[in-house]
Amino acid sequence: MNPFWNRRNFVANTMTGIPLTGWLGRLAANAPSQSRPKSCILLWMAGGPSHIDTFDPKPDASSDIRGEFKTTQTSVNGIRISEHFPKFANLMKHAAILRGMSTQESDHSLATYHMHTGYQNRGGSVVYPSIGAIVARELGSQEVPMPNFVTIGRAPQEAVSSGFLGPIAQPLGVTDPVRGLDYIKPLDSQEVFNRQVNLLQQLEAPFHKAYKSESGIAHRTMLDRAVKLMNSEQKQAFDISRETDQVRDAYRVNALKDPPKRGDKNPMALSGSFGQGCLMARRLVEAGVPFVEVVMGDGVGWDTHRDNFPRTKSLSLECDAAMSALVQDLQNRGLLETTLVVWMGEFGRSPQCGGGGRNHWSKSWSTVLVGGGIRGGQVIGKTDKDGASVVDRQISVTDFLATICTILGIDYKKKNLPSGVERPIPIVDTSKEIRILSELL
Amino acid sequence: MWRNLHFLLSALVILTTNATSPCTEPDAVKLALEIDSLIDAKLKSQNITKASLTDDAEFVRRLYLDLHGVIPTYEETVRFLADKNPERRTKLISELLADKRYGEYLGDIWQGYLISPLADDRRKRADMLRKWLAEKFNQKSWNQIVTELVTATGKIEQNPAVIYLVEGRNLRTVQDLTDLASRYFLGVRLSCAQCHDHPFVAWKQQEFWGMAAFFSQIQTPGKSKVVYQVGVRDNQEITLESLKDGTTDGFMSIQPTFLGGEAPGSDSSIPNRVALAKWMTSEKNPYFAKAMVNRTWWRLFGRGIVNPVDDMHPANAPSHPELLDFLANRFVESGFDHKFITKAMVLSEAYQRTSKPGNDPEKQVAIFGRMPVKVLAGGQLYDSLVTILGEPVRKGGPQSDARSEFIQFFTDDGDPNVTAYRRGIPHLLRQMNSEQFARNISSLSLVTAGQGRSADEVAGELFLKVLSRKPSAVELNIFRDSVTRSCSLEASTRELAWALLMTSEFSLNH
Repeated sequence: MNPFWNRRNFVANTMTGIPLTGWLGRLAANAPSQSRPKSCILLWMAGGPSHIDTFDPKPDASSDIRGEFKTTQTSVNGIRISEHFPKFANLMKHAAILRGMSTQESDHSLATYHMHTGYQNRGGSVVYPSIGAIVARELGSQEVPMPNFVTIGRAPQEAVSSGFLGPIAQPLGVTDPVRGLDYIKPLDSQEVFNRQVNLLQQLEAPFHKAYKSESGIAHRTMLDRAVKLMNSEQKQAFDISRETDQVRDAYRVNALKDPPKRGDKNPMALSGSFGQGCLMARRLVEAGVPFVEVVMGDGVGWDTHRDNFPRTKSLSLECDAAMSALVQDLQNRGLLETTLVVWMGEFGRSPQCGGGGRNHWSKSWSTVLVGGGIRGGQVIGKTDKDGASVVDRQISVTDFLATICTILGIDYKKKNLPSGVERPIPIVDTSKEIRILSELL
Repeated sequence: MWRNLHFLLSALVILTTNATSPCTEPDAVKLALEIDSLIDAKLKSQNITKASLTDDAEFVRRLYLDLHGVIPTYEETVRFLADKNPERRTKLISELLADKRYGEYLGDIWQGYLISPLADDRRKRADMLRKWLAEKFNQKSWNQIVTELVTATGKIEQNPAVIYLVEGRNLRTVQDLTDLASRYFLGVRLSCAQCHDHPFVAWKQQEFWGMAAFFSQIQTPGKSKVVYQVGVRDNQEITLESLKDGTTDGFMSIQPTFLGGEAPGSDSSIPNRVALAKWMTSEKNPYFAKAMVNRTWWRLFGRGIVNPVDDMHPANAPSHPELLDFLANRFVESGFDHKFITKAMVLSEAYQRTSKPGNDPEKQVAIFGRMPVKVLAGGQLYDSLVTILGEPVRKGGPQSDARSEFIQFFTDDGDPNVTAYRRGIPHLLRQMNSEQFARNISSLSLVTAGQGRSADEVAGELFLKVLSRKPSAVELNIFRDSVTRSCSLEASTRELAWALLMTSEFSLNH
């Protein structure tokens, strides 16, 4: 637990002229200048985005490999990416593209679990915690009513569990960022709710006195925290309607400025709710939440076995707008240094794209890290001319997660002793050699 | 006193029973006494006081939750609490074991153990497997059930027992199946030994792969979806060697070998899995009976005689070694009759002790001088809510979908320590503010508060319905006050119903 958050203060000294209104402003005004602990926003690209069509293009390969997209120059000399990330291209100096990713799972569920936990799912007795839960536990506070791990969108349930870290590190899920936090409002009036809670407290007392059980205490504590959250000011962080239209628009790609109509298929993609989810993530990080995961692509998402090019293009444009707005927004508010943004899916996609589709490819693929104090403007790892295998600097999932932990100030070698499991379990699986990406630090 | 009477009656029954009679009522009673004498001896030797027995309200709620996975209905509670027969607890136990809900609850639990959490089509298949298991638990002995599971062949639609063997479009890997079979049927954790000799225990890598070999014949290397077309079948030609793909950690391609080193017979016409099932369910198997006895004990008592429940090995000693051996023998002798063993356990005094703490409460629980407080599982929570409130408002789709979604939301991951409360803010928010059962609470309040009833009558009914007990004088006062202040019996009733459902008492099995 990070002691910083005990004092419930939020740094304001690096803000550049953006007025902080309301409660955010009040809290900022009272904050001493302190270095802020890190936060992490994971942008989860469900389905596995094609690396060649996004951040590891192969313009010189044969046409059945390089595909239909052109490349664009970025603001860093020598780094080119897909033409469909035009806004992000200008932010390259904050980012590092990891082209050497090479992992072992090619099945969606197994790979998703693998990338989130660093361990492989053996259906065995240990359920490993997700990276979000780990960060929540290591960097989060138990004092404030806000949860320490939030997921936005349709999160992959088995992969975002807190596992043996328990309920303190569990994610609070927001299915629709436009709708806001589920179940945060009482069904009746506040008055009725208060009366009910009061009645409950009176009724609880004799049971706890008689049974004095740990489980009873845990239940009561959680209930108190839930009620506190309902009555807190901080919960406003979940309400994006408080942002100006101008800000909300920045997170949408131009083509999607119209509100979604009823019956629109795949409303997540059409309504731009991934972008609105990124906006909520920024608000949550501002409010002190250490880990937010925003999911893009419910259902099929980036899993383009068919129609690879039209779908990847539209997803890229939407993602580009959202991600760039997020990074820009974080920078404007002085939060980029202390917020690591991670862009990743569960694997890449096959170089061969005759037939208009690309299949799963875990041997060589790409992820992107932005902000968080890393040395940006670089590429780590290199694939062969076809993007089919890594020829320089292979990055395993444990290298990747251990690096993220290090950037966030977490000791990835630290061991947990979960109940019911005999052996201590390190945060990141250290059974194979780990090479931190020190080029980033 | 109830206890003395019980003792006298049991003693009478034992004296008049032939010692070699088959599994009938008296044997369970006798076994219960034997359980108690072993537990009491240890309590005495460690100078730990026994907790007193549960009162009837605690008992009826606990028994229904433990045997049927749901709280008793209002009528069932009232009936039991009004019963003056000194044998009422024994009668209730027999009734609950004979009810089909016994098998349904076990089917629910075991479907959760057996089906891979990553399987496609999980919900539909889970329902099919659950129904199959329910039927078996109500009719068959444990060795018969495990034999059918381990040797299952055919297509999913024809034989639901094969469901757990399939994950996605493929057969489940031999590593997965070995881990599953060893944990749940044999009570041992072999999976560390997949890659290396277990650091803390005697399991060797060779032993893991010797067991894994038994599951090789059902595999279809290189071909997915085949299992949908032809079903699960044993192909004598597939060995571990055929499954070598260079990516599996620790892979060893060896012949099938039972744990402990014995090889199956040389008759190659017998499929491996048949040989495995035979060895597992043999009377001489050192793991099989103990595993089920320990798991049954763990479910009922909140902690196993060995903990963790699926991790039995020489360095992890049982708290009561004689008791475990003894129960295992009786289980084998009964023909692996799980109802019999369950009955004996719940007839015991040890099971019927209160969970209210006395002196040295931790020690009391550790050696069964007191019952720990257990937490209601997701399924128990849902089914209990439906019992009190009726089925929730449906948002389209079958009821079983709503139940599955609820259970997935409320079910804990990780080691299921049944005494640890592990839900978080999202769960409490949903319990407090979800619309799912809100209309039902309103209807219930309307009905309960209707027609000129007094506050006391209303409170009495709600407490019995939700908490399976009568309200205390203090609680009646609290409610009367609340009615006076609100000036609306109906409004106060709704608030009371909401509050009772949010109490720790409701969410816990004490």
